[in-house]
Amino acid sequence: MKKLNLRVRLLIFLILISAAVFITAGVLSWKEAREKVDEFFDTYQIALARRLSTTDWSNITHEMQKISDKLVDDIHNAEDEDESIGFAVFNNEGERIFHDGENGRYFPPFGRKGSFGTERIDDEKWRVIRLMSTDNRFIVAVGQELDYRNEIVEDMFEEFMTPWAIGWGVMLLAIILMLTKEFAPLNRLARQLKQRKGDDLSPLDETDIPGEVKPLTSAVNYLLNQTQEMLQREKSFIADSAHELRSPLTALKVQLEVAQMSADNPKNLNNALDKLALGINRAERLVEQLLAFSRIEAGFENLPGESSLIDWQQIATQIAEDYTPAAQAKNINLVLDIAGKAPFEQGNPIWAALMLKNMVDNAIKYSPEKATVSISIKYNKIKVCNSNTVVEEDKLKHLGQRFYRPAGQKTTGSGLGISIIMKIAALYRCRVAFANTDEGFCVSIIPLKD
Amino acid sequence: MRILLIEDDSLIGDGIKTGLENFGFAVDWFKDGNEGHESLLQAQYDAVILDLGLPGRDGLSILKDWRNRGKTEPVLILTARGDVDERIAGLNSGADDYLGKPFSLKEVQARLNALIRRKSGVVAPEINYKGVTFNPQTRKTFYQGKEITLSPKETALLELLLFNRNKVLSKEMIENKIYAWDDEVSSNAVEVHIHHLRKKLHKDIVKTINKIGYIMED
Repeated sequence: MKKLNLRVRLLIFLILISAAVFITAGVLSWKEAREKVDEFFDTYQIALARRLSTTDWSNITHEMQKISDKLVDDIHNAEDEDESIGFAVFNNEGERIFHDGENGRYFPPFGRKGSFGTERIDDEKWRVIRLMSTDNRFIVAVGQELDYRNEIVEDMFEEFMTPWAIGWGVMLLAIILMLTKEFAPLNRLARQLKQRKGDDLSPLDETDIPGEVKPLTSAVNYLLNQTQEMLQREKSFIADSAHELRSPLTALKVQLEVAQMSADNPKNLNNALDKLALGINRAERLVEQLLAFSRIEAGFENLPGESSLIDWQQIATQIAEDYTPAAQAKNINLVLDIAGKAPFEQGNPIWAALMLKNMVDNAIKYSPEKATVSISIKYNKIKVCNSNTVVEEDKLKHLGQRFYRPAGQKTTGSGLGISIIMKIAALYRCRVAFANTDEGFCVSIIPLKD
Repeated sequence: MRILLIEDDSLIGDGIKTGLENFGFAVDWFKDGNEGHESLLQAQYDAVILDLGLPGRDGLSILKDWRNRGKTEPVLILTARGDVDERIAGLNSGADDYLGKPFSLKEVQARLNALIRRKSGVVAPEINYKGVTFNPQTRKTFYQGKEITLSPKETALLELLLFNRNKVLSKEMIENKIYAWDDEVSSNAVEVHIHHLRKKLHKDIVKTINKIGYIMED
C-alpha cells in the first residue's frame, strides 16, 4: 500500500482528533444544557403549581375566567407571549374550573399526581405535574410543551457551539497553512533533487531547512561531496591514462605500418617486428601499472580487506630472484639485507610485494651498468638504493606525481611506479622519502609517526 | 626531400624514420632537443617533424628560436595531448601544422607533402612535366600515361627536380636533399640516378649544366 506523505497523514490525524474532541464536547454540552433547562423549568413549574395549589378555588366562576383572559389579552408589551406553558385547575369531579386561557384548556383532568410525567396533549408532548390543592378539593395541573424546552436547548447549544465550530475551522486552516509552510522547504528540496541532472553533484541548498531535516541534508551533502571527489579522481585518472596510452599506441601503430610496407625488405621487417614486440611489452606494463594503481586508489575508500602478518624475508627474496636476470643483463649487483623490523608488519602481502617490487624495478631500471642495487629492511625502514645514481633536486619534488617521467628516459616506464609506492605506503601509515646519499639514490618507506 | 625529425621516443622515432624513408624521404633523426635545434641551423631541410615533449630542450622553445632566427622551414608538430591549448600554442609559436598522437605514417606523409607543396608554391597534388606525371603522395610516376617503376632514391631525385624547375641544382645539393646524414653515399650516386631517370623516362628530361649541376627547364 502506498504510504501517504507525512503532511497529509498529519492533517488527517489532526482533523480526526479535533473532530472527536469537538463531537465529545458537543455531546457533553448538549446533555448539560438539557439538564439545566429541565431543572430550570421543572422548578418553575413546581413553583407555579405550589402557588396554584394554595389558592382558594371555591369561589371561582366562569365569568372570572373570561375577565382573566381579557386582562391577559390586553397586555401588549409582553416580550414573549409564549403559549408553551399552561395550567388548569379541576375539581374532584374532573371539571375544569380555571385555566390559563391557552393550552390549559386541553389538559386532561386526571393523571399521575405528585410527580412529573410526559403526556400527549393535542398531538404534542407535554411535561405535566399535578398537585392536589391544600384543601384537597381541587387538582392543579401545570404543563409545558417539550418542544419548547428542546428549542431552548437547541438555541443554547447552537449559541454555545458556534464560536467553537468557527474556532475549529480556523484552527484547521491554520494547521494546514502551517504544515504547508513548514513542508515547503522539504518539497522544494524534493523538487530540486528530482530535477537534477545525473552529473550534478553540487551540494543541496540548506537554507530554510527545518532543524529536524538538517542532519539528513548534511549527510546527503557529505555523500554528494565524496562522490564528487571520487568521480573527479576517476575522471582525471581516465584522462591521464588515455593520454599516457597515446604514446605507446602511436609506437605500435607506426611500427605496424613499417612492418606492413616492409614485405620485400626482411631487414626492415624484422626490425619493425622487434620494435612491435618491445612496444607491446611497454603497453602491457603500462596497463598493468594502471590497473594496480586504480585498484590501490579504490582501496583508499575501503581499507585493505585482507590483512595478515607480512613475511618480508620471503617477499624480498622472491623479488630479488625475479629481478636477477634483469640485474645481470646490466651487470648490476643486487644486495639483500633483511635484518630487522619493517615499518609495517601487518597488511595485505600482495600490496606489500607490489610496493617493494616497484621500488626494486625502478632502482634496476634507472641504474647505470655495473651499479649496486641494495634492498634493506631494518630499523623500521625499507630502503632501496641504487649506487652511481643522482636525481637532480628539481626533479625530486616531481617524483610521485602520477605519470611524471623526466623527459628523455631511455628506459620504458609508465610514470606510475612511485605513485603506486606512495599510495601503498600511505595505506599503511607510512611515507616515502627520497634522498641522494653515499649509497646512491635511495627510496625509503618510513612510518608516519617517526 | 630531406626531413629533420626530432622525437625522443625511440619506438616512434624509429618507426617514423624507417617509414618515411620507405616513402622516399631522407630523414635525419635526433632524440635530443638541443642536437635537433643545432642541426636545422647547420643543414638544409625541406620540412621538420617536431615532438613537443623533449629532453634537453622543449619543442616549443626550439620552434620559437628557429622562427626568431628567420628559419622558414615548414614544421609539423607532434602532440600527445588532445589539448586544444597546446595545439594553439604550437601554431602560435610558428608551427605550420600539427598531428595528435596516435597518428599513422600515411598521415605524417600526407601532411609533410602538403607542407612542402605549399612552401614550393605548387598547389596541385600532381606535377606534370613534359609527359611525366608525378604524385608526391602516392609516389607514383607515369610517363605518357604508363606507370614507370622508379627506386625510392630515383623518385626522390625526380621530385626534387620537379619542385625546383628552372633552377640549377648542384650535385652536392642533391646529395644533401635526398640522403640523410647516416646514409652511405658513393661519389657517383647522383650521376647514376640521373642516368636511370633519363633511361626510364626520356633522355631530355634533365639537362646537364657542365660542372655546375642539373636542371629541368620548362
